[in-house]
Amino acid sequence: MNQARAEILSGIRAALQSTPRLPLPATTRIAPRATGDADAEISRLLSEIEKLGGVTRRIANRDELPIALEELVAKESIQKATWWDTPELRALGVAEMLTALGVTSVPPDASPRTLAECDLGVTGADAALPETGTLVLRSSREQPQLVSLLPRVHLAILRPDARRADLQDVFAEIKSGKRAVLITGPSRTTDIEKVLTIGVHGPKALYVWCLETPFA
Amino acid sequence: MPIPHIDFRANTQRVSPHLIAATQKSTRTALAKRAQAIEIVGEDQWQALRQAGHDIKLHALTHLDEYLPMVEARVTQAGGVVHWARDDVEARRIVLEIAAQHRVKRIVKSKSMATEEIELNRALQDAGIAVFETDLGEYIVQLAGQRPSHPTAPALHLTKEDIAALFRAKLGVDAPPDPQTLCEIARGKLREEFLSADMGISGGNFLIAETGTLVIVTNEGNGRMCTALPPVHVAIVGIEKVIPDWEGLAVMLKLLARSGTGQKITAYTNLITPGGEEGPREFHLVLLDNGRSRMLQDEIARETLACIRCGACANICPVYNHVGGFAYGAIFLGPIGAIVAPQLLGVKVAGDLPFASSLCGACGDVCPVKIPIPNILLHLRHRVVEGDQFASATVSPILGVGARVGTTALGTPWLYRLGARMMRLFQASFRRGDWLPTLPPPLDRWTMARPFPAFRSDFRAWWRRR
Ligand code: SF4
Repeated sequence: MNQARAEILSGIRAALQSTPRLPLPATTRIAPRATGDADAEISRLLSEIEKLGGVTRRIANRDELPIALEELVAKESIQKATWWDTPELRALGVAEMLTALGVTSVPPDASPRTLAECDLGVTGADAALPETGTLVLRSSREQPQLVSLLPRVHLAILRPDARRADLQDVFAEIKSGKRAVLITGPSRTTDIEKVLTIGVHGPKALYVWCLETPFA
Repeated sequence: MPIPHIDFRANTQRVSPHLIAATQKSTRTALAKRAQAIEIVGEDQWQALRQAGHDIKLHALTHLDEYLPMVEARVTQAGGVVHWARDDVEARRIVLEIAAQHRVKRIVKSKSMATEEIELNRALQDAGIAVFETDLGEYIVQLAGQRPSHPTAPALHLTKEDIAALFRAKLGVDAPPDPQTLCEIARGKLREEFLSADMGISGGNFLIAETGTLVIVTNEGNGRMCTALPPVHVAIVGIEKVIPDWEGLAVMLKLLARSGTGQKITAYTNLITPGGEEGPREFHLVLLDNGRSRMLQDEIARETLACIRCGACANICPVYNHVGGFAYGAIFLGPIGAIVAPQLLGVKVAGDLPFASSLCGACGDVCPVKIPIPNILLHLRHRVVEGDQFASATVSPILGVGARVGTTALGTPWLYRLGARMMRLFQASFRRGDWLPTLPPPLDRWTMARPFPAFRSDFRAWWRRR
């Protein structure tokens, strides 16, 4: 193995010997988009997600959240759910609301097989990009990646201050971390006769709810 | 096993009309969506992004000897294992050893050109391991025992009826020819494989040197499944995939999906730095050379390595659109295939491919990282004709002469213009509708297989109107 390493590297060095080493471009901040105010940006985010087949909603206040959850549970026939155990979702009382609706709770650190049987996975979002309709989810013990991957329906609840102007801002924040995923719309494919089909491997439905500020 | 010579012309005669129709339909849609996506960004900004993308890749390629050890150090620090593979034999051996250590029986794979290049599946199957391709198109192609026909849409050559019949035969399920239902069936089958696999294998779209992060983009979510669920993840990545930093990644991601499918960004972008609280217990990174460091030696052809595999050059190529992907005889398709294959497989095997081009220039114009594909095609024609330092030329004398004449003419603007004008006059008597049914010898080598697009000096204008 060490010999392979040495040979590959010396091969590269020899190949580059008489060649100019090209510089790194001075700037990568190309085409920063003109961003609007918070409201316009959130509208843009949600409309981009809708265009991709996601379902979005603005939640005005605490009273609306249980109503929205009830509608979701009915519409998607949710029986089992799992969620991130974050301070944010705890403070919102998502777990209690779902339990009150008769949904069985599955711990997020359950086996993949058990998580795959969940109808719903609820997460937050660490950041969002209105330009592309992208959610940024970092993974950690509190924020297991499988919650947004295995259940049939993924619900992400975020606050308006999650919005970022550009991918560069997102990357500056997350590059020091470990695993993360950018999610843009539900799982999709056009592999059979170029017909768009939603939900091939990941969640079949993506719900994104944005809490209004102040949220009371 | 040595790869047999790729006879491009003979290959074009074995193509189903469905493939050609499907190819043209799909490429047209992709290009229309691409144009929209670029319009939103703005032409000037798009050009600036392309330039940045090109410069970042060329910078990385001319500093590979620095960035690869950086990747190695970061990944190792984070608890991952880095392997170096000089060629396909070594790469296969490394993966087989890891599989043996963990007594692996079932593997899920996400679409990767590098693993196809090293024919990994066959080696694993020979070792008694079940391997499942999980990208829907790749899964279908694997079930059918075929090769992909398009870089980003592997099952393009099959109709929904073909796929339904295939599922009935191979999976023993009642499958109607309906994309949604077929997709549902594949989802069910592959879910089970994801959950029971003891190893996940992926390629990688980018490898970020500054943090040792592997980046995998997929629309279906199979990349996430393969890299998150099985206890062991092995990523096989060509050494040319290294980029310096996350800033560079942002540029690449802005280019990749827009150029390939016209999406603003791919549905899932997985950013995997090993050693977090989450994910597989073990992470292995196989850095694959397999001819790449040799490709670096050629200052002109080297830019081939900047490719981010968006597929746009195939989409826009008039030749690809009329012969389909199989004609390229290998896993490298379209204009990029025509320049990669001779360099990787040697001109003995793939020396025909640089000639499978009308040199209209569209591929170079469309490439999101500004790879001068037409120049490289010409350059490789020279290498084929003059004999390659790595494999002797096998090209026929007729094509050889054509290559020389073509090169001289393009290198001299007035001669090129004269040539273009004469070509049109010369065509007038042969032309029928938009396509030339046949050309006089020696060019009939071409039209014997497929109607050849009428030569136009303003190809791109024609393309937009088509
Ligand atoms: S050569 Fe350029 S256009 Fe072709 S696939 Fe690669 S990046 Fe895309």
